[in-house]
Formats: sequence, C-alpha cells, structure tokens
Amino acid sequence: MRFIGLRLARGLLTLWFAVTVTFFLVRLLPGDPVLAVADPNMTEELRQKLLADFGLDRPLGAQYLDYLGQLLQGNLGISFRQSIPVTTVLMERLPWTLILTASAMVTTIALGIPLGVLAATRARGWADRLIQITGVTAQSLFVPSVGIFLMYVLGLWLGWFPIGGAVDLDATGFAATLSMLHHLVLPCLSLVLIQLGGYVLTMRTTLIEALGEDYVSLAKAKGVRPGAVVWKHALRNALLPTTTIAGLQLGTLVGGAVLTETIYAYPGIGRAIFEAVGQLDFPVLQGAFVLLAAAVVAANLITDVAYGILDPRVRTS
Amino acid sequence: MTALAMELTPRQRTWSSFRRNPLGVASGILLILLALVAIFAPLIAPFPEGYGADTSQLPSAAHWFGTDDIGQDVFAQVVWGTRVSMAVGVSASVLAIVIGLLIGVSAAYFRRLDTPLGVLVDLSLSLPVLPLMILVAALAGPSVRTLAVVIALFSWPEVARVVRSQALSIVPMPFVSAAKVVGGSPLWIVRKHLLPGVIPVVGVSVVLTTSRAVLAEAGLSFLGLGDPSSWSWGTILHKAQQSGALASAWWTTLFPSLAILLLVLSTTLLSVAYNDARDHRNDS
Repeated sequence: MRFIGLRLARGLLTLWFAVTVTFFLVRLLPGDPVLAVADPNMTEELRQKLLADFGLDRPLGAQYLDYLGQLLQGNLGISFRQSIPVTTVLMERLPWTLILTASAMVTTIALGIPLGVLAATRARGWADRLIQITGVTAQSLFVPSVGIFLMYVLGLWLGWFPIGGAVDLDATGFAATLSMLHHLVLPCLSLVLIQLGGYVLTMRTTLIEALGEDYVSLAKAKGVRPGAVVWKHALRNALLPTTTIAGLQLGTLVGGAVLTETIYAYPGIGRAIFEAVGQLDFPVLQGAFVLLAAAVVAANLITDVAYGILDPRVRTS
Repeated sequence: MTALAMELTPRQRTWSSFRRNPLGVASGILLILLALVAIFAPLIAPFPEGYGADTSQLPSAAHWFGTDDIGQDVFAQVVWGTRVSMAVGVSASVLAIVIGLLIGVSAAYFRRLDTPLGVLVDLSLSLPVLPLMILVAALAGPSVRTLAVVIALFSWPEVARVVRSQALSIVPMPFVSAAKVVGGSPLWIVRKHLLPGVIPVVGVSVVLTTSRAVLAEAGLSFLGLGDPSSWSWGTILHKAQQSGALASAWWTTLFPSLAILLLVLSTTLLSVAYNDARDHRNDS
C-alpha cells in the first residue's frame, strides 16, 4: 500500500511539474498571455472578459493558483479556431491516440520478446548479428520517413491498406470494427518499427546477463530443458528492466504518434496538434501537452504498480 | 607487441583500435562529407526559391533528385537543408551539453543539490518532450535560433544524467579528497578533477545528442514549425505533405529521408565504435 502511495505521489509530482513548466513558459515568453487561451483577433470586450475569467489581470502567484484550479475542473481554455472548449476538442481525439499507441506497444512487446530471446540465445551467431544491425538502424529512423515509406509500399503500390483516416464512415457494426483495424495497420506498424529496435537490444542485453546468473546454472544442472531455462527462468527476470525501459520510452512513443498521425491523417491528438500548429491555436497545443503528459504519467503508474505486485523486489527499492 | 602497447597512452590505444573498425571510420568520413556539404552548400547548388518551369519531374540528369510541385530542384533543397539541419543539430547539442555538464557535475559534487537536481532530471525525462517543444516553438515563433534553443532546452536532462553518474564515481576518489585537504576551492576541483574525468562520456553524448537534435529539428519542421525562410530536411517533407506530393512524388520525400537516415545512422555507428574502442578489455 505504501508502495502504491509513493508511486501515486510521484505521478502527481510529475504532473504538477508538467503543468507548472507550461504555465511559466507560456507567460515568460514574449507576447500577450491571453493568446494562450484565445484568438488574437478577439474584441477588446472579450479580451477583458478572458483576462478576468482566467485572472490574467492579477499577480502571477494568484494566476498560478487559479490556473491549477481551472485544470482540476478540466478547463484547458477555449480553442479559438473552433470556439469550443479545448477539453471537448481533445477528448474526442484521445481514444484514437490511445488505440494507436496501445496497439503499437502491445505489438512491439509481442514481437520484441521472441526476437530478444532469439538474439540472446544465439549470441554472436548470424541471427544475433542481423538482429543487432537491424536494431541499431531502426533506432536511427525518422518516424515520418518510415510512415511515408510504408504508405508507398504497402498502401499505394500493393494497395493492401488504406493510407489515411481511421475508419470508413459508412461502415457499421462489425464491418466498422474491421475497417478500424484495417486503417490502424500502417500507422501502428510505423510506430512498431521505431520502437522495436531499442526494445529488442535491451531485451538481448538483460537476457544475456540473466543467462549467466547462478540460478540458471542451477536449473541447467537440475536437468531442466534448455527451452524452459530460457523462457521460464531467465526471461522472467530479464522482463523487468526491459519493461522499465519501455516505460521510459513512452514519451518517445507519444512523440512518434504525433508524427505518425500527421502522415496518415489519423484523427488523434497528434493530428490535432498538427492542425493547431498550422492555425497557431495555442490553447489546443497547451492542452494537448498537458493531456499527453497526464496519459504518460498514468501509463507509467499502472505499469509500476503492476510490476510491484508481480515482483516484490520492486516494492522495496 | 606488449612492450609497444605499454608505451601507448590510453588515448592512443583508443585511436588505434578505433581505426581498425571499418564501420566507425566510414561513419566518421560520411559525417565529415555531410559537414563539407553544409559548409559549401552555396558552391554546390543555388538556393532553391521561386517557381521553376519543370514541375514534379522524376529524377534525371538535369535534376538529380527530381523537382517538386513548383519546379524547385530537390537536390538543391537537400543540399541547403544539410546546412540548417546540421547547424541546428550541432548548436542545440553544444548548448544541451554545456547545461547538462553544469547540472550533472554540480549534482555530483554538491551533495545538497543532488536530490533536487536529480528529481528535476527525472521529471523532465518522464514527460513527452515533442508536444512540449511544439508548444514552446509555436509560442516563440519559427526561426532557426528558436529551434536550436528549444531543442537544447529539452535535451540537457539526458546529458545531465549520464554526466552525474560518471562524476559520482570520481567524487569519492582519493585525489579529490586530497585536493579538498590541500584547500582547493570547489570550482577548482570541479574544473581540474571532475571535468576531465567526465569528458570521455560526454564525447559519446555529444554525438548522440546531436543526432537526437537533428531528429527533433526534422520533426518540428515537418509539423510546420521550421524557419519559413530557410530549408531543412524536415521542411522539405513538410512542403511535400502540404502540396500533396507525399502520395504522388516519391522523390520529394525519399531523398531528404535518406539524408536524415545517413546522418543519424553514422552518428550512432560512430558512437558505438568509439565506445568499443575505449573499452580496452577486448584488446589482446
């Protein structure tokens, strides 16, 4: 219980930090702070109303407390291009980003574990070399480049997958679900290709280390089958550091999602960010960052707690 | 052979074992070539601007990388893009390294600062950086300098973490205590003993931070936050996306993508080779 409390406090601290950094960056940069919550072409009357609404006419400290209060009520400002609350704009988009990132994460892990095992058990063999070279190369890829490449080859030349959007609007019921998955393949695959290299390389290193431990020698000496030694004994212990790293990479995954959604016109938060950049819609940009930061913090918290339950050693460290 | 090896300083041994790694040497040469392209861009191709007669042409002898939808030469765009991409990458990286070094070394040496600085680094590392960079770059207005500063502002925690852990292993060394005993000022000890000790790790960091900065610049420019008056590899991709060339003219996106890949891959391989060369355990 104490462990969960500590992790929760840490998550809240991170979130507070994100929100505070945003607050001060927006206000310390040159320009009218009202621009962060509304249209530059607003009437003076609206400007005064917003100044009062957001308390921007008051001292910085009081403003800051107000800002936190507004956030707690889920108020992220008004999108000045769409004249609706930022929260409404982003909440419509959030499910798509969650579907995209979660499916990319699951696929990366599902492919990463067997590839990592393959590389570690045949360390310095040709399969290992190939996996290592591909892994290093994959880490050097630029997300949009990968997205464009897959779009050409699998989308345009082979015509296997649609190259834009998230679902066929006329499809209903089960057909809609299928169409959704069909549209998900290319953006998801782009993210998987980016993430997989680092994941497999970490997996390989930690598994090779685990295979050198005493309990592995003991298991072998007892006559446990080689496959079972790897999968049941060594892998379990190698998974923990790997998952910690996957958690640390969540920020990168989110950044990748922003770029991928832009390529494929996938209607998630990332695409909303791209559109907001073009329209200089600062409230949406600010809200999107706060929301994505909250999502990353929540995901990290869930994995931390899950691992704490699965592996008692984590709880004491 | 052993007699000869004994006489070599560690630096010479690193260099000689680095030279024997073909991938590392090839990456180094490639990076130098890219830097030369960046420096001598005006001699290689005219600055791409205005409208050309040949629009959306496939690569040919006249236009090596083809032309875009308004008839500009993609080869010229990539050449000039090398300039901005590398300039932003290098300057952001230098700035991030300086901040990271200062914070990392202070955290390791001044024990009282360690906890707050450590928490700051941890918190910064656990946030999604790209959306934050987008917000700040959009607020500050697009320019090459903004990009470099914004990227540096959010890249130093990585450096600080690496520097701190290396510096922490030096602080308890006897020569540091000796320097304290003889009355060396903290600043002097940091400069004379800690900084030289962490420089080798920073060497790898410089390379990796630069490649990450190049990727960040490409990402921001791709989203439309690049300097509108200059070309970078990300800007070329952004223009292709805006004009719809993304799905029709493969050459407008392939060549800038290859340029990014070559730069980032060679920096990664270079740092791997450098790390291997510095690790003398495998020498025989």
